[in-house]
Order: sequence, then C-alpha cells, then structure tokens
Amino acid sequence: MDVFNNFLTGTITLFSDPLGILIFFGGVIGGMLFGAIPGVSMLTLAAILLPFTAHLSAEHGIMLFSVIYCTGVYGGAITAILFNIPGAPENAPTAFDGYPMTQKGQAGKAVGAAVMCSAIGGTVSCIIMMIATAPIADWAISAFGPPEIFALVFFGLAVASSVGAKTFWKGWLSILIGLMVAVVGLDPVGGIERYDFEMPYLLAGIHFIPTILGFFAVSEIFVQAEKKVTGSYVAPKIGVEFPTLKELLAHKFAVIRSIIIGFFCGVLPGIGATLAAFMGYNEAVRWSKKPETFGKGNIEGVISSETANNAATGAAMIPLLALGLPGGALTAMMVGVFQMHDMEPGPLVFINSADLVWVVFAAMFFANISIIFVGYLETKTIINLLRIPFQFLAPMILLLATVGAYAVRGLTIDIVVMFLAGVIGFFLRRSGYSVAGIVLGLILGKIGEQTFAQAMQMLHFEWSGFFDRPIALGLILAGFVTLAGSIYGAFFKTNKPTATDPAV
Amino acid sequence: MGNLRTGHLVEGAIWLSLCLFLYAYSFEFDKNIEIYKFGATAWPRSIILLIAIAALGQLFQHWKYGDIGSSNAMQAANVDDAEEAAHEAHHESLGWYLSTFALLVIPFAYMRVPDWIAAWLGAGGSTLHILRVVCAVILVGLFLTQVKRNMMGAMLTLPLFFAALLEDMGFYSLAPIFIVGVMFLFGETRPKPMLAIMALIYGLLMALFVKILFVGLPVGNIRPFYDFGSWVVTVLQ
Amino acid sequence: MNFRKTMAASAITLATTLLSANVAYAACATDGLPSSMAKPDGYPARALTMVVPYGPAGGSGQVAQAMAQAVSDLTGVSINRDHKPGGSGTVGMTAYMASPADGYAVMEHIDDASSAHALDSGRPNPATDLIPLVTSQITFSQIYIRTDEDRFTDWESFVKWVTAQNGRATIANVSKEGSMERVNMKFITDATGMQIQQISFDKGAPRYGALAGGQVDALFEQPGDVRKFMDAGKFKPILTLLKERPAAFADVPSLTDVALDFDPLYRFRGFYVHKDAPADRVKWLQWAFQKAYCQPSYQKYNESKYMTLIESFRDTQGSRDLINQTVAQYREVYKSMGLEVK
Repeated sequence: MDVFNNFLTGTITLFSDPLGILIFFGGVIGGMLFGAIPGVSMLTLAAILLPFTAHLSAEHGIMLFSVIYCTGVYGGAITAILFNIPGAPENAPTAFDGYPMTQKGQAGKAVGAAVMCSAIGGTVSCIIMMIATAPIADWAISAFGPPEIFALVFFGLAVASSVGAKTFWKGWLSILIGLMVAVVGLDPVGGIERYDFEMPYLLAGIHFIPTILGFFAVSEIFVQAEKKVTGSYVAPKIGVEFPTLKELLAHKFAVIRSIIIGFFCGVLPGIGATLAAFMGYNEAVRWSKKPETFGKGNIEGVISSETANNAATGAAMIPLLALGLPGGALTAMMVGVFQMHDMEPGPLVFINSADLVWVVFAAMFFANISIIFVGYLETKTIINLLRIPFQFLAPMILLLATVGAYAVRGLTIDIVVMFLAGVIGFFLRRSGYSVAGIVLGLILGKIGEQTFAQAMQMLHFEWSGFFDRPIALGLILAGFVTLAGSIYGAFFKTNKPTATDPAV
Repeated sequence: MGNLRTGHLVEGAIWLSLCLFLYAYSFEFDKNIEIYKFGATAWPRSIILLIAIAALGQLFQHWKYGDIGSSNAMQAANVDDAEEAAHEAHHESLGWYLSTFALLVIPFAYMRVPDWIAAWLGAGGSTLHILRVVCAVILVGLFLTQVKRNMMGAMLTLPLFFAALLEDMGFYSLAPIFIVGVMFLFGETRPKPMLAIMALIYGLLMALFVKILFVGLPVGNIRPFYDFGSWVVTVLQ
Repeated sequence: MNFRKTMAASAITLATTLLSANVAYAACATDGLPSSMAKPDGYPARALTMVVPYGPAGGSGQVAQAMAQAVSDLTGVSINRDHKPGGSGTVGMTAYMASPADGYAVMEHIDDASSAHALDSGRPNPATDLIPLVTSQITFSQIYIRTDEDRFTDWESFVKWVTAQNGRATIANVSKEGSMERVNMKFITDATGMQIQQISFDKGAPRYGALAGGQVDALFEQPGDVRKFMDAGKFKPILTLLKERPAAFADVPSLTDVALDFDPLYRFRGFYVHKDAPADRVKWLQWAFQKAYCQPSYQKYNESKYMTLIESFRDTQGSRDLINQTVAQYREVYKSMGLEVK
C-alpha cells in the first residue's frame, strides 16, 4: 500500500522533529482558540500569521495552516453554539440549532456533538483525501468549468432559499438582497464601478467576513443590549453535560449523509465548506420525520452541519494541492504560504515535494483526531465565558470583531460595513427575513456572476450550450426541481406552517 | 383590501422603492464591455427584477392569507425572542424609529460632510483635518445629547460612529472611549469597575495583537491621534 | 487601426530603453551606491509601513515581501506590510494618499496606477503626485497553450486554427477594460485580423486552471506567474510580446518574427513615497530601496520570476520617465479605442 507507507513516513517525519511537534500543537490550540473566541475566527489568526510563515520552513508553514484549518472549522462551532456567533460562514447552520440548545441549558450536549462530529467528519474526509487527491483532481479540473460552477451556484441558491426565513418570499428576498450586495464594487468582466456612491473604498466591494461578523456577532449584542434596557436579560444557562454515545449513535445516518455531502461540496473550488454545511443541514431537515423541531434545538442540526463542514476540509485540500485552486479564504492564504517559500501549489508539488504533502496529510489526520481530546478539555474552559457579566463581555466581543474585520483586508470600511450589518441584522431579526440567506447570497453572488459571465463567453452567448454539458444541465435541472418543490410548498400547502418540502 | 395591514403595505413599498432606486442608479454604470455583450448592468438588473417580483408576490400572499402565510420547513433560529424584547421596550413606535434613524445618520454625516465642505471651499490637507476634527466634536456633542432619550438607538449608533472615526482618529485613541461607552449603554455606571475593565480589555488586546502578533491596527491619519497610535505601537514593539 | 501609428512616437523611447538594457544586466544596477547611509536625524526611529494595494499571495504581494526583506536586511529597519486590496489598486492608493506624509509609510504599486491615471486624470499620477523610490520589476507578456495540445502547436498553426473557428476560439485574460492585458490583446487581434473570445478571470489560479483543464484554448499571462506550469511541462509559450527574443525563450517567436508591428505594453512594479515627505527622509528611502534592489536575496527572487530577462531597474528619474511614457501611450490607445478619457 503506497498510501499507507507514505502516510507512515509523513507521520514519522512529523513527530521526530521537536519544532514540528510544537507547531502542530500550537496550530491545534490556536485554531480552536481563535475559532472559539467570539468575534475573531481562524481567518483572523491565519491573516495575522501569514507574514510570519516566512520565518518557518515551507513544511512547517503549510502544516501550521492546514492544522489551523481543521481545528478552526471546529472551533467556530463553539461560538455558534454558545453565542449565536458562527466563527466562519460554514458554521452558520450550526447556530440554527446549537444556539437554541444553549438557551435551553444544553450547551454541553451541543458542543459535545460538535466535537465528536467534527472529528469524525474531518478524519474520514482526511482519509479519502489521501487516497483520492490525484484522481479526483484530474477529473474535477476538466469536468468543472465555469458553466458547471455557475450551475452549482444556482442549485446552491435554490436549496438555500428555504434556509432560515419565515416564508418562501422572505427566503428569496433575503438571498436576492445578498446577491445585490455582492454587486457593489467592480464588475467581474470589465472592471466597471458599480454602486460605489462616489466612495472609493466601496470599490473593494463588500467582503463576507465583516458581513457575517455584523449579522451574527454584532446584532446578537444589540439584542442582548435591548434586553438589558428592558430588564428582561437572563444569563444563559450553563450545561456541561455531554451527549452519551447512545445519543450520538442514534444519528449515525445523519453523520454518514453529511460526510458524503460535505466531501463532494468541499472538492469544488470556491464554494466548499459553506455550501457543505448548508446542504448538510438542509438534507437533515428534509430527511427528518419531525422537520418542525429544527431551528428549536434539534441536536441533529448541529450534527449534520458540523460533520459536513469538517468533511469539506480534507476535500478542499484536493483542488488546492493538485491544481493550486483554493476553495475559500483560508486555502487561498495557504497559497500565499507556498509562494513565500518559492513554491506553488499545483501539479509540481506532488513531484518535487511529495514529502511535504505527506507531512501535511499526516498533520491534518492527527489534528482531526486531537479535536476529540483537546476539544473536550478546552470546551470545559471556554463554556465558562458565559459566566462573565454581559456588559463586560460586550465591549470585548465588539473590539475583537473590529480587529477580525480589519485584519482581512486592512480597510476601515470593512469595520463600518460590519457594524452597519449589525444594525440591519438587528432589525431584520424582528421581521422574519434570514440573515444567513443574505450572507449566502453575498458569497455565492460574486462567484455566480463571475462564472455566469465566463460561461456565457465560453458558450458564445448561446443558452443552449448548457445542454451540451451534462453536469451543468443536471445541476440546473436539480435547481429548478428544488425551486418548483418550494413553490409548490408555498402555494398549495399555505395554511400548514410546517409542511414545506423544499425539494425533489 | 383582503388581509393587508398597513405594515404589509409599508414593507412592500420599501422593497419597491428600493428596486426603483437601484434601477435608476444602474444607469450610472450602464457602459458597454467590448468582450461581454450583456455589459455591467444585465446581472444587477435581473436581480432587481427578481426582487420586485418577490416583493409583489409577498404582497399578494399577505393580501390573500395575512400573516399566516406559507412557511419554510426550517423556521429561523434567529426569529427568536428579539420580537418579544422589542415589544416590551416599546421599540416599535414610529417616534422611536425616527429618533433612531436620526442617530444613525450621525456616523454617515461624519464620513461625508467634511469632504463636501472641503470640496466647496476648495481646501485640502491640513484644513480638511481641522474640518474633520470640528465636525467630529459637533457630532459627538449631538450624539451625547440624545443618549439619555434613546439608549437603544445610541447603542446601535455607537459602534458605527466608532468605525466612522477610526480612519482619522485611529484604534489606539478611540478604543478606551468605546469600551467605556458600551459598558455605560449596557447599564454599568460604577466608575471603578468600568475603568478597571477598560484597562483590562485594552491591555489584553494590545498585548495579544500588537505585542505578540504584530497586527497593524489603524493608527489614524490626523495628528495628534496618529502620533499617539504610532507611539503605542513603538513602545509595544 | 490608426492608433498604432499615432502612439508609436511616444512608445519608441520606452522600447529602446528596454531593449538596450537587455544586453547588460550581469552587473547589478546599483552596485555603485554606498553600502550604508547615515540616518537623517535618527529617522527611521520605528518600523516603516508598506501599503500594498493587492493581496499577499499575488505578484505584488510577493514583490513587496521580497523588497521589504531586502531593505530590512540592508538597513536593520523592519517594514510592516499593510495589504489593502480592492478596486484594481484604487483602494490602497486612496488609503495611502490620506495617510500622513512623514516618510514612515511607503507604497507598492503597479502599472495599473498609470493606466488608471491615463483614463481619468483625477486619479493620482504616480510620477508627479508621488515620488517613485525604485521600479524593481518590468516584464513582458506571452501567449500560452497546453503542452499536450494537438489542434495547434505553434503561433502560426494557432492563428490558422483560431481564424477557422470564426470567433468561437477562447483565450483566458484578466477583466478590467483598458488594462495592460486587454490593450495588448487588442493589438494582437487587430494586427492578425483573427477573432477570439476573451474570457475574463480576475484571479490567477482559476485563470490557469481554465487552461490546464481545457476550458479555454489559450492564455495571456506574464512568464513569472506561470513558471510552475512551464517547469511542470503543462504550458508552453507560443508568442513573446517583445520585439526581440529574450535568451530564456530563444525558441519562442517574438513579435518581429511573426510580423506583428506594434509596441507592446509592459507590466511593472515599483515603490513610492508621498511627494511632500521630508526631503532628507526621501533621500534615505531612495538609497535604501535602490540599494536593496541589488541585495542577493532580491536578485534571486527577481530571477525566479523571469524579471531579469529585460532590465527591471529604474531609479526615481527612470521611473518617472517610464510612467510618463506609459501614461502617454495608454492615452493614445484609449482615444483611438473610443474610450472616454477624462
């Protein structure tokens, strides 16, 4: 077994080097901590650390980033559950059920489920990554061009319109507003300035990180502030009771389903873990016998979302390492680490630096395993943040979010955008619109318009070109079927508030 | 009128006027792109059209079924008790909305007004800086007079105001004031704990981001704020 | 088509300087500068900030990293890089222009600043609204195809194939109207009369992935950015956008070889400081950045990016000349393209 031998060599190299071990554990703990501190995320840590990797060896630098990636995706779940603040977009669906669980005093159960499922999803996807990187990459690069990616975005939006909003129309209006926000800045074909309102900083466009921080972290603080003003503030109950193995085993199908969804979404460049988490969550609701319990603290919501987004981490490494195509912000920064060491991720890495690749693979494998052990210990301490009086926690979270929003691009406009999103989020929460839908619209909108334009240019502006591309056609049809399903649900089952079946 | 309420009409009117505004503004960038015949406007205009359709659809639904409406399988976790809290705080009256909106204009006034005055005077450089400081002082004063009347509105405005001032005054000078402000709006009035917590949070942030991680936070563009920010960074690093 | 005639005059000087420099780059340009310089009144007393209007991973981010490292090695002054990406470099430029002109902040920028000023003179002119410290990278573009491509193998067969496709052939390029890439492509299509659909990719990785994965037929790019694909045997250049063949691409035809008669536009990257920064500090910065250009670490970096094939170095005056010529050249092109020049 080639794969096994390589893995063994990688493991030995990793753990025979004291500095390597130090960096490994530094990454594990750092990723979890930054993921778990409300307001900042693994992206903040990564953006901060990027210049420092120049002082490390290439092996150590890339290993550090991949470890942060694995543990950070898990760490973001903790704040999603405890504070309704997803550490990254891929943790947003975790908050749908995780936060209600905290309010019911079941924080421990939710976090415990997130720990187990993140570790399982991540580890399994890591194993598939080791076996499949080369063949999958070869297939995806030629099978997935702009038309396919656009079709996938369309499908993703059709699925997402049913997430989080009160009604069919509100779901779509939320997504459309997100798509509209994505238009601000330079257009992707001609670099023409759109909706900049004469403010040069708006030409950079609206970034999704400050938007997420604003909609989730800042608006949550406003809601708590309002409760303080009215005197209805109740400190959240703290529960450190972890789920039993039996409870988790009851959801084994959700885990398996989410691993499959997560892995296939994660392989696709540009969309990756976020779509994975939303689809994982969505499918959990769709397959459930009691869909009305979701959003009110159903542990399966946490399980599905966390398994799927961690399953996407291993998958996202495939296009990155084999083709140099990053799947998201963190993997894009990994490209930067490679380049600082005079290397480029891509076809050459496997030829020139196979050792490095396998050290990274081994590190990711053990990082996922270590989530279980370090996660339990860390959770017992992090959960105590809930004991700090909120008037002292609030300025801390707001300032951390300020640093987090600023560190991504170094633009103060991003801080303005974040707090504005906080205000808008505060009002939207009362109205039944979905802030998660807006965020997803914003993320997918940029990719959507760009790939649509590229697809149209490639197909010579003939819509029929989609018919020659079976994958694109299939995805678009699936999108329309999903759409038809939710329209059917919206118009023909109107008086049964819980009965929408949003898909096929 | 079916089941329509005033709220529904206002909601629909807001959506449709937003569409109208966005559509009208799209003529500002209605330019040809040589290699792309759909140009820069096709995509946003399609979205605007879809928004209009969805807004009309929602209006129709309200008219026919009122608030019961159709429902997604996954009701939001975040349509939680925010509504309840708002209700209790009487934050649904028109007066409250107007006063909050007026407060929210303050940060944007700071972002735009000094530039307009400077352009009108044909001034730049240090004159612009003086204008900005004067504007900031006036707007802070205005903000302070409103705090007691509308605590919640002030809470919503304070972070935005902080963000609007950051580019000029810098993180290092503004953060301590911001920390105290947030604590005050959260109902904390004891000076000693406020100062202690302020020092603790500021110290922790400086130690973690500036000392250990060398993050470059905005130092501000206007003296003496710029000098203070640069001094803090130099001392810590 | 007459724009080529009208702009030729302004471009001649530029082309001659570049080509004459081609011969002698073995000795480094600033070897003659003193190896140390006294700090004026203790400046710099703290770390410098380098504003980079692009992300850390791209060509600008990398050259900023390499130059900052070289200056720090030379002077012992550390440089914090402050990436402010967005708006094709506009955002970083705006933020830099608003920051205090005390000599503690410098900026990296590329030829986009010149073309932006050419299109809209309200935008800062890098030659006069800033002081160029050094231009440290000048490079040319090439057309690439896949190595395992069998429908065509060289420029001649490529043009023939593209013409036969009647506008259905595709090439990956960057997005901005009036950018260096798009203007060069216009030169090529006008001169050969072939019709090719350009497909806009504003990020590098998907652009290269599109060629590697067979989504497009060809790629327009600079050699330093696709070196890994060439070294891995995946891509090969079929045309160099220079009048003469550089030694490293001796078997790739130049413009002259295929009878294309236009003056190509170059990509260049350099470092700038506020024009009203104190004069003694500017002088020190000029020395530090120009001297750092010849640090072995920087030279090694430039070589790895194919930045030594034509002379990359320009001092302050040389950079001003380069920028002025470039701006004039773009203006002529824009006018002849019917773009609105403000």
